[in-house]
Amino acid sequence: MAYNILIVDDSLTARTFIARTLQMAEVPLSQVYQARNGQEALDLLQRVWVDLVFADINMPTVNGTEMVRQMRAMDLLKSIPVIIISTDRSAQRMAEMREAGVQAYLTKPITPEDLKAVVERFLKSA
Amino acid sequence: MASKRRLKTVVVGIGGMAISDSPDESLVAHSLGSCLGVTFYDPVLKVGGMAHCMLPLSRIDKEKAKAKPGLFVDIGVPKLIEAMLRRGCRKKNLVARVAGAARVMDRANFFRIGERNHAVFRKIMWKNGLFIRAEDIGGDQARTLRLEIETGRVVVQSEGREREL
Repeated sequence: MAYNILIVDDSLTARTFIARTLQMAEVPLSQVYQARNGQEALDLLQRVWVDLVFADINMPTVNGTEMVRQMRAMDLLKSIPVIIISTDRSAQRMAEMREAGVQAYLTKPITPEDLKAVVERFLKSA
Repeated sequence: MASKRRLKTVVVGIGGMAISDSPDESLVAHSLGSCLGVTFYDPVLKVGGMAHCMLPLSRIDKEKAKAKPGLFVDIGVPKLIEAMLRRGCRKKNLVARVAGAARVMDRANFFRIGERNHAVFRKIMWKNGLFIRAEDIGGDQARTLRLEIETGRVVVQSEGREREL
């Protein structure tokens, strides 16, 4: 099975880092979509199906928290797993995101190995 | 168990690099302080390589870099990878483990050589599309790193303790 992945981050560097790490980890990929903020991601999710979303929190227009809330309120999108990668280390934010049903919460800076471990754990359990 | 056998030790000194496919050999880098001991192992071909790098960047001494590239992380590590590939190893099979980069003789961490060695190593690995399987980095203790060619087992000795990496 090959996966469709969506990467949501306002930083091109961060998006490139995630995309390249997935390639290096030899994750079977079908499509890798990218969005610069939550609104772009939600628009994209109306048109394409993805198996997994990587998202930052602090982004312009619709941030990651709001994006996850909106996804969870939509029948078609509520079951798509989300992995948060953020600089926000506050316990409150992490609890909030766990409550919203995110699959994992990684705090930046992350290494390619951290990301690989999470993706492998997720794909094994999927 | 293979590790119970007496293994022939190939010492990889400062700035040295070595590759072996002899099952009765182990590659060893002694007294890694701020130096970085890097090992690659291909479990399919059972080929292992080690570099013992002292400084992060070769641009500080171009002559030395030419004579002994293994002294520098930025050119030593790519050279070791290249040499492993020339031996027939496949990049996707290479298992990388690294130890060292401590703050020995620089307790105030003024020069940050260990840290910079490690940072440059990470960058080189990223550029080459390789993950690091395990690392034992930092602190202020010297380490000895050993790679057993038959098994690919990597052991770090430090302050009288030994642990598998």
